[in-house]
Amino acid sequence: MSKPKIAIFDFACCEGCQLQFVNLEEELLDLIGVADVVEWREAMSEKSDEYDIAIIEGSITRLEDEERLKLIRSRAKILIALGACATIGGVNKLKNNFDDLDEVKKCVYGTDSKKPHLATQPTKSVGEVVDVDFHVHGCPIDRKEFTYIVRCLLLGKTPEIPDYPVCVECKAKGNPCLWQYGQVCLGPIIRAGCGARCPSNGFRCFGCRGYTSNPNVDAAKDVIDKFGLTVDHLKTKMVLFGSRQEPTIYG
Amino acid sequence: MSVKKISKDDFAVFVDALIGKTSVIGVQAKGDRFDFAPLESAKDLRLDYDVTLQPPKKYLLPPTEVLMTFEIGGAYHSQYQDQPFVLLGVHPYDMVAINQMDELFQQDNYDTHYMKRRDNATIIACDVVKPSENVFASSMGTAVVRGGYDILLTDVGGAYVVESGTPKGEKLLAEMKGTVADEAALKSRDAVWSKNEKGLNRHELKCDAAYLPRLLEKAYDHPVWAERAKTCFACGSCNQVCPTCYCFNVQDDVNWDLQTGKRERAWDGCLLDGFTKVAGEHEFRNPRSDRFRHRLYRKAKYVPPKIGGQIACVGCGRCVAACLPDIANPVSVYNRLIDDLGIG
Ligand code: SF4
Ligand code: SF4
Ligand code: SF4
Ligand code: SF4
Ligand code: SF4
Repeated sequence: MSKPKIAIFDFACCEGCQLQFVNLEEELLDLIGVADVVEWREAMSEKSDEYDIAIIEGSITRLEDEERLKLIRSRAKILIALGACATIGGVNKLKNNFDDLDEVKKCVYGTDSKKPHLATQPTKSVGEVVDVDFHVHGCPIDRKEFTYIVRCLLLGKTPEIPDYPVCVECKAKGNPCLWQYGQVCLGPIIRAGCGARCPSNGFRCFGCRGYTSNPNVDAAKDVIDKFGLTVDHLKTKMVLFGSRQEPTIYG
Repeated sequence: MSVKKISKDDFAVFVDALIGKTSVIGVQAKGDRFDFAPLESAKDLRLDYDVTLQPPKKYLLPPTEVLMTFEIGGAYHSQYQDQPFVLLGVHPYDMVAINQMDELFQQDNYDTHYMKRRDNATIIACDVVKPSENVFASSMGTAVVRGGYDILLTDVGGAYVVESGTPKGEKLLAEMKGTVADEAALKSRDAVWSKNEKGLNRHELKCDAAYLPRLLEKAYDHPVWAERAKTCFACGSCNQVCPTCYCFNVQDDVNWDLQTGKRERAWDGCLLDGFTKVAGEHEFRNPRSDRFRHRLYRKAKYVPPKIGGQIACVGCGRCVAACLPDIANPVSVYNRLIDDLGIG
């Protein structure tokens, strides 16, 4: 088998997930040993229209980006959404909370807000525009999970991505639960796979890996009551990575 | 087997000497809680703890472990952790849980990975000094333990009464200072035992634990399962902190040569979505209420026949504390069934 060609594309994002590639260090050489990276703006100048695997970082916020993404999809055999911006829209979906996007632009860009390259539309995740074969969750992604997924792909095997909550990994690490210390942790409804990175360091989970496929938000409301907090506490925590997504609580 | 009385200072000297010779895992403070962790000095040891965040199980069945390395289409090599270690400060209920696991992991497929660790372990158990907020070991008959440990320590005020339970323990005991335990010390120990037999009971089961399998015979379609499962996160916290939960998942990962790799197992939990998913995406215990019921049936109906009728919940209370929506407490579920279905 000839080496599969990988191309990496970025859309609206901070490029923090690509930075994790660079942080792969030795493993990056291993990766390059089994696959050809044919396009990667952050690290090389070559461009290519031929690739087997397209890796998409970032969310989709402009019409022309939608067109570009559709073109990439039509050329790629496999498409991977990389990082929260791509998998769930991520932080960029915060702007979708506002009805008047012109107001948002004025607030951010001031007098420049009318410039044509700033034309924008509500943020979409990659999956809201094209079919996605694999999701690499997190903000930023977990390097080990990413390389595991790539190896599975190269072997033609479906990677096992957790669909259970962060609490599983948190408890296995022997952490005391942050709820008992007054933090509104989203762990019980957010997809594991990060090794409970935040709670293990004393910080509540803020949901960067997105909801599990069947999160029990009603139970979360009950728990809020039990700890003497209000639903507003929960709402404000859900909005960072959960804006305009089911089952984030609004209103 | 012999029984000694040893002062706390002399015991600390013994522990420090032990640390110099072998790896010692002991109970220590973790913030305002406690947990088992590698012990560096006897002064960090907290035998006055109430309950540990994780049971000592993780030193016998780690959250993740490599079972073997392999070459695709070629040979495989089992991997074992083969270092002796001492578990120091295991409470009776956790000792009972380990005894149950020992029986279970030797049945059917003898689990060489678990047993290798178990054979390498020396267990120093200790009676409870301070009951935890949710312990109900008295209800489960696990407040004191009479076997499985190499050494049992009982705090009788200024000193420990120390009894060996195995030849391994007897050898260790010989290395301790102290005197043959006198009548008064043994009496004080009896008093600790009688106190704990009744006093480790923050939740009180309304029946004899031995009755639970029969209670569950008539409870399969009871509404309590669906009622409770309504607020279940399927977060598996109740499984992850339980000393008698032993389910695991097995997964392979290959190296970058795409030829060699390793097979790992990791803790699983029957409350998790997808726990019963099999080939073809078929899932035979899909509703959360079925899985919620399964855990409580497993503890008191499915496992007992495999371990001579013992109930596979030892009343440590960890799941009670770990469950955010407060639905996992086995006693409150079983008591609810007794209220509705009666005893007998
Ligand atoms: S997911 Fe996070 S780290 Fe990755 S590109 Fe988006 S904002 Fe940056
Ligand atoms: S701290 Fe968060 S992730 Fe950890 S157990 Fe508590 S709710 Fe779950
Ligand atoms: S704990 Fe939550 S916020 Fe932190 S990395 Fe994991 S999923 Fe993201
Ligand atoms: S079911 Fe709960 S109380 Fe019983 S042994 Fe397990 S964690 Fe402890
Ligand atoms: S019973 Fe409680 S701890 Fe167990 S999975 Fe459900 S919510 Fe989590």
